[in-house]
Amino acid sequence: MEPLDEASPEIQILTFFLSEEEYGVNIKAVKEIIEYATMTKIPASPPFIRGVINLRGSVVPVIDFAKKFGFPESQVTKRTCIVIAEVEHDGRKNLVGVIVDRVNQVMDLLPSEIEPPPTFGTPVQNDYIGGLIKRDKNFILILDFDKVLSLDELKSGFTLVSPVP
Amino acid sequence: MDINAEERQLVLKTFLIESGERLSEMEEALVEFEASPDNLEILDKIFRSAHTLKGNSLSLEFDEIGKFIHGTENLLQKLRIREVEVTGEIVTLLLQSIDMLRHMIPDGVAGVFVMQPAHLELIRQIESAANGLKSEETSQPQTGGLPQGAEKRRRPWGRRREDIHELIDKTRSIRVGSEKLDRLLNLMGEITLSQGRIKEELKIRNDLKKDSFLQDIYTDTDPLLTELQDQIMKLRMVPVGPSLRHFIRVVRDIAKSHDKLAKLVIEGEEAEIDSTFIEALRDPLTHMIRNAVDHGIESPELRRGGGKNPCGLLTLRVYHDSGSIVIQLQDDGAGLRKKEILQKAVALGLAKESNRLSDQDIYRFIFEPGFSTSEKITDISGRGVGMDVVQKGIDSLRGTIEIRSQEKKGTIFTIRLPLTMAIISGFVVGVGEERYVIPLDSVVECLDLSEARDFGNRVVSSVHRAGSGRKDEKEKGSGFIDLRGKALPYCRLREHFQLGGKAGTRENAVVIQHHDMKAALVVDSIYGEIQAVVKPLGELFKELPGVTGSTILGNGKVGLILEVASLIKNIEVQNHSLLVK
Repeated sequence: MEPLDEASPEIQILTFFLSEEEYGVNIKAVKEIIEYATMTKIPASPPFIRGVINLRGSVVPVIDFAKKFGFPESQVTKRTCIVIAEVEHDGRKNLVGVIVDRVNQVMDLLPSEIEPPPTFGTPVQNDYIGGLIKRDKNFILILDFDKVLSLDELKSGFTLVSPVP
Repeated sequence: MDINAEERQLVLKTFLIESGERLSEMEEALVEFEASPDNLEILDKIFRSAHTLKGNSLSLEFDEIGKFIHGTENLLQKLRIREVEVTGEIVTLLLQSIDMLRHMIPDGVAGVFVMQPAHLELIRQIESAANGLKSEETSQPQTGGLPQGAEKRRRPWGRRREDIHELIDKTRSIRVGSEKLDRLLNLMGEITLSQGRIKEELKIRNDLKKDSFLQDIYTDTDPLLTELQDQIMKLRMVPVGPSLRHFIRVVRDIAKSHDKLAKLVIEGEEAEIDSTFIEALRDPLTHMIRNAVDHGIESPELRRGGGKNPCGLLTLRVYHDSGSIVIQLQDDGAGLRKKEILQKAVALGLAKESNRLSDQDIYRFIFEPGFSTSEKITDISGRGVGMDVVQKGIDSLRGTIEIRSQEKKGTIFTIRLPLTMAIISGFVVGVGEERYVIPLDSVVECLDLSEARDFGNRVVSSVHRAGSGRKDEKEKGSGFIDLRGKALPYCRLREHFQLGGKAGTRENAVVIQHHDMKAALVVDSIYGEIQAVVKPLGELFKELPGVTGSTILGNGKVGLILEVASLIKNIEVQNHSLLVK
């Protein structure tokens, strides 16, 4: 797999739906996609952290993008998935899960087909976006998982401090 | 009768490893010796190490290396009998010879060692240092050949079979990479989980009674697995000594920078401890030792005045005691000044003058974050810097810390840790859909909440808590319950963790304990004991209060392991504020 990837100039983008909109992510950041499973709540954590799941013995936090981006809450359906991503922190790889409404397709693109992100007017905070794909009349925003899911970013969501004075 | 090549290979390997360790020891000791040149014990130790190293080298026919060490040994001997005065240059020379040996020995074992000009030059320098000013007294000519003593010891390979077998015996214990052990432990963890699931499944089917065959198999495997788990745990245990020795240097450095004299003695180096603990203990111990020297040990003049040895003594003791590891740091310094700690605590609003506090309670204030930072530390008895780090570190290992102190006599800190931390006995409780694991050793008892009379009303109304209506009382998150006539603070875990939802009709109170503090956690249901394989919660939830880690439960879901120490503290704080309002 790897050598082929490097040889081909194509970039593979996995697309998924969040609140009726299609988004993409470079498939390199994605480890696997699993079915939605009930999770263990983490007390007093920010609302966008849905909890933790057991991924074959590892404890993996799961992030709710809808909540993080301030989209309307979506119902869990049969097609709801958890995309398991790998993000680096201090040189160590961490797994983070992301809830998406459904996974759509994998697109093979040439680098030239990906445009730089628009500077304004996006539904998602600008620096979370890594690029833009035009498809027919629609746009697909490519999310930069390393940014959205960086531990510093996620940690900043904790308003929580120990109540002990 | 000849030692075959395979055996020799084995011996060489041991020699290589041992000499590496020995050289590090010598290096440490040399630095130590430089600081306290009067301490002949250290010098003796270095000398013995050099001597053993020489003997081993010679018996393995590394003649030139043996010769090299002999020169060093000779110089050490001169220092020992005070024929040569110790100077910085001499220590430097000795350190240089250690540096060289670090290359010479591996080269020798690999069969590629050749004496080089640099080696000869160092030998020459060491020789002239050994001959020093009193060269006429050193009658033995150092002409490059082996001196008599060493000549006699030198025997052809194969004659000293006893020595060689001694070496071989040591290699019967093999070195295994810790990642292999981790893997083993993880597998063990997974098996423990499956076992838990089988148990649960058996329960669900109610087969425990009906299907005696299946039950028998289960009953047979259970102790075997427990045994296997124990054995794997034991593999992870390593002697604590090597990881503590560098503190000797730490003590020396700190004492020096404060114009004090202090030395550290380590007792129980051979005691074994879970290798995961060793890293985790480094910070807490560093803080404790630093504080002991900084604030505990008095200046040499003061100590002399008090009839003490001007050099302060710190003892770091490690031993096993009824299923836990005890690490003790004792100093013969000034001791903690109870009165001043209490005054300070009152000033900071941590305590009230009227509070009747035990010595332990008072000493415990030094663990409060920033306890002694607001004023000049040394004005009060000190010991505040970073002591909250110590408390946190020990808590995260699920350990306890206790202080005993006597003014002018010294202080003893006693840390108790569970033997292992990778698998714990846990007690599973439930709130709604969520399951939590409480470390079993902090669970005291369980009560049916409806049976335990709620103290809340009386206590709360007597302090006129605003807006406390009847309905409010029943649903409130915390208060006191009547435990055999004593008021026990409690909190509802549902409230505490903001889980939402309504409590069931029956609620249970689990009485938990940390040190001598007790409190009750109110939960919906109680599920009993499990063997929980502790999994870290990862970076993101590192500082989550009240939670120390997680485990995979029998149903495959993640269960959070509660941190009893901080929970109890929170309950106390909550209920305290309830009272003072």
